[in-house]
Amino acid sequence: MHGFLLGLANGTSCLALCAPVLIPFLLSEGDNVHQNLVTLLKFLGGRLLGYLLFGLLAWAVGGLLLAAGGYQTLLIGGTYVGLSVLLLVAVFRKKRPTPGGCALSEAQTRFRRWPALIPLGMGLLAGLKVCPPLLLAFTDAASSGTLGGSLLLFVTFFLGTTLYFLPLPLLGAFTRMPDLRIVGRFAAVIVALYYLGSGILLFAGGVQL
Amino acid sequence: MTAQALTREGTPRMAIWKALLLTLPIVPFAAAALANDLMSGEAQLIEIIPSLLIWILLTVFFFRMLVTGKTHRYRSALFILLAFAVPLYLIPQLFELYGTNMLTPEMTYAAKARFCPMTMGMVILPAVLKGVVIFPGAIVEGIGWFFLWIGASLVIGRGWCSWGCIFGGWDEFFSRLRKKPVVKHVDRKWRFLPFAILLAIVLLSAITFHPIYCEWLCPFKVVSEFEAPTSLATTVALVIFPLTFFGLVVALPLLTKKRIQCGLFCPFGALQSFFNKINIFELRIDLDKCSQCKRCFRECPTFSLDEGSLVSGKALMSCTRCGQCVDACPKGAMSYHIKGTRIGISPNAARLLFLYPAYILFCGFGANVIADALWRVLRLITTGSMI
Amino acid sequence: MAKLKSVLGYSVAALGIPIMIAAVLGIRLFLNPNAFISATGLEHSANWTGGEVVQTIEHGTYQTDVHRPVFDALIGEHKKGFVQVAWRPPEALPARIDEEIDADADGRADFRIELETATKQASLTPYSPNVIELQGVYDLGETLAIRVRLKNPRQ
Repeated sequence: MHGFLLGLANGTSCLALCAPVLIPFLLSEGDNVHQNLVTLLKFLGGRLLGYLLFGLLAWAVGGLLLAAGGYQTLLIGGTYVGLSVLLLVAVFRKKRPTPGGCALSEAQTRFRRWPALIPLGMGLLAGLKVCPPLLLAFTDAASSGTLGGSLLLFVTFFLGTTLYFLPLPLLGAFTRMPDLRIVGRFAAVIVALYYLGSGILLFAGGVQL
Repeated sequence: MTAQALTREGTPRMAIWKALLLTLPIVPFAAAALANDLMSGEAQLIEIIPSLLIWILLTVFFFRMLVTGKTHRYRSALFILLAFAVPLYLIPQLFELYGTNMLTPEMTYAAKARFCPMTMGMVILPAVLKGVVIFPGAIVEGIGWFFLWIGASLVIGRGWCSWGCIFGGWDEFFSRLRKKPVVKHVDRKWRFLPFAILLAIVLLSAITFHPIYCEWLCPFKVVSEFEAPTSLATTVALVIFPLTFFGLVVALPLLTKKRIQCGLFCPFGALQSFFNKINIFELRIDLDKCSQCKRCFRECPTFSLDEGSLVSGKALMSCTRCGQCVDACPKGAMSYHIKGTRIGISPNAARLLFLYPAYILFCGFGANVIADALWRVLRLITTGSMI
Repeated sequence: MAKLKSVLGYSVAALGIPIMIAAVLGIRLFLNPNAFISATGLEHSANWTGGEVVQTIEHGTYQTDVHRPVFDALIGEHKKGFVQVAWRPPEALPARIDEEIDADADGRADFRIELETATKQASLTPYSPNVIELQGVYDLGETLAIRVRLKNPRQ
C-alpha cells in the first residue's frame, strides 16, 4: 500500500519527465488509439523492467552503490545517450509491412520485427534515467535486506505511477492529421538531440540537472 | 481617372489628398513614440535630430504606402532598419549599465537579462501553472511585453512577424540581397519544423524550468546579449549561436531568397501562427482574377502559399501579412481581406484597417529603438564612442 | 446574413485600432505592473533568486543567509538542485570565512565552506552524502554568495 500511495503521489512527476520523449514519439508513429495503447504498454513494461532490475541490483550490492556517488552521473549520462539513440532510430527507421507469403527464414522474420522493441527499450532507459524510485529502490533495498519486499514495493509504486500515463494513447485520435505526424517526428528528433547533448555534457561534467 | 487608379501590378493606388488625410492619424503615433526623448527636457540637439528624422521617415513611408498601393517595399525597409538598430540600441545600453553584453551568473541570479517577446511560448506554462517566471529578466518588463504581445497578436495575428519582430529584419535583409535564388525548391515538410521546435521547447522548458530556446538555440544572441562562457554548457552554446545565425539567417536566406529562420525555424512564429486562426485579417486570392501564374508563392518569403492556396483562395496559417504577394500579383488578385466580408470588394479598406494597427505596433517601440540607434551612430561619429 | 457578417467583420477590424493603442501605450499609462504582479503572485523561479532565506546567522558585523534548498520543478521536484548561502554586507566581511552550514535545517551541518572573500576562492568539505559539489562563488552586489549542488533527499 505504501508503494502504491507513493506512486500516486509521484506519478505526475514521472509523467512530466517522460512526456518530452513520449508525446513526440507517439505523434510521430502516426498510429491510432489502439496501437498507441500497445506502444504505451511496451514503454511501461520497459519502465517496470528497469525498476525491477535496479531493485535486484540494489539488493545484491546494497549500500556500496549508494556510496559510489560518481557512477550516477555516468549512468544518467549513458541513459540519456541511449534514449536519444533509440528515439532517433524510431523516427528514421522505415516502417515495413509484416512480411507474409515470402520464403523468409524464421531468423530473418524475427530480425525484421525488432523495431517493436523500441518502445520497450525507451521505457527501460526512461525508467533508469529520471524516475524517482531509482534511489528509493537503493535506499529501501539496502535497508530492508529482503529482495521480495523491495520488488513488491517497486511493483506497487509502478502501478501507482502508471495511472497517469493512461490518457496518452488518446494522442492517436490526432494522428489522422498527417501534418501532426510530421511535427511529431521533428519534435522527437529535437528532443533526442537535446538528450544526446545533455548526456555527452554529463559525461564531460559540464551540465547540472 | 478615378481617385483609385490601378498600378501596372493591379494594386489600388490612392489620390494624394486622400492619402494625406489618412496619414494624419499616424503622425501623433510616430511622434508619441519619440516623445520620451523630447519630454525629458534634457535632450540635446544631437538627440533631437535623430528623433525628428525618424518621425518624418515613418510618416512619409506610411504616406507612400497609401499613395503607391505598395506595402512590402516600405514595410521591408523599416523592418530591416529596426533589426539593424536593435544591437546599436541594446548593446551600448548594456555596456553602460554592466560593462558587458555577456550575462554572467550574477546577472542572471539578479534577473538582469532583458526580456524578449520570443520567450512567451516558454514562460507561459510555468507562469500559469506555478506562478513562476522561468526567464531571468525583470518581471515588470515581462508583463509589459506580455500585454503588448497578446494585444498585437489578437489584432494582427502572425503579422507580428513582419511588423513587430525586432530580429526578423536580419532574415529579411539577407533574403533580399540576391536577384535570383540558388536553391529554388525547399521540401514542404520543413514548414512543420517550427511547430516541432515549439512543442519540444515548451515541454523541455516546463520540465527543466530553464528557457531552453534562449539557452541553446536562439540565433539572435549574436546581435543582443548572451550567457558568458563560464561552464562547458555555456561555451558549447556560444558556438551554437553563431552557427545558427550564419546558417539560418545569413546563408540559407541568401541561397533561397526566403526568410528561412522566420519560416522554417522560429518557434515563436509557430506560436503566432495559431493566432492567425482567430485573427480577423487574412490574405485572400480572388480566384476569378487569378491567372494561376504562381508568382505569389514564388515571392512569399515564409512558404505560406502553395498549390492548395490557388484552390482554396487562402494563404496558409503561417502567413506573416508582409504584403509581398499582394504587391507582386500582376492581376491584383491577392489582397488583404477581413473575414466575413466579400472578396475583392474594397480591398483598400481592409488593407487600411490592417495597416493602422500594424503601423502603430511598429511605431510603438520600433521608432524609439531606431531613433536611439541613429543617435548612437551620430555620437560615435562626433565623439568616437557610442557610450 | 451576408451584410451582417460584413458589418461585424469591419467592426471587429476597426476595433483592432484601439486595442493596439491600448496594448502599446496601455501598460505605461493604465496598468500598474507591480499591482498586477502582487495580484497574480508571479515571482521569479528560485533557479535565479536562490529561493527564500530560511535561516540567518549573525556574526556581529556581518550575517549569513541560508536559503532553502531548491529542487523546484513544474510537477513534483527534481532529483538534484542546489542551496544558496550568502554573506552580507560585502564591505564588512572578513578576509576569510570558515563556516559549517546546515542546509536542510535538521540540526546537523551538511558541509563546511572556506571562502577567501577578496579572491572569491572557496573550498567545500561535504559532510552529508546529499552534497555533490560547489557550483560557484557569486558577487551579487548586496551579498557574496555560493551555490552548492545537492541531491534531493526526498527522491
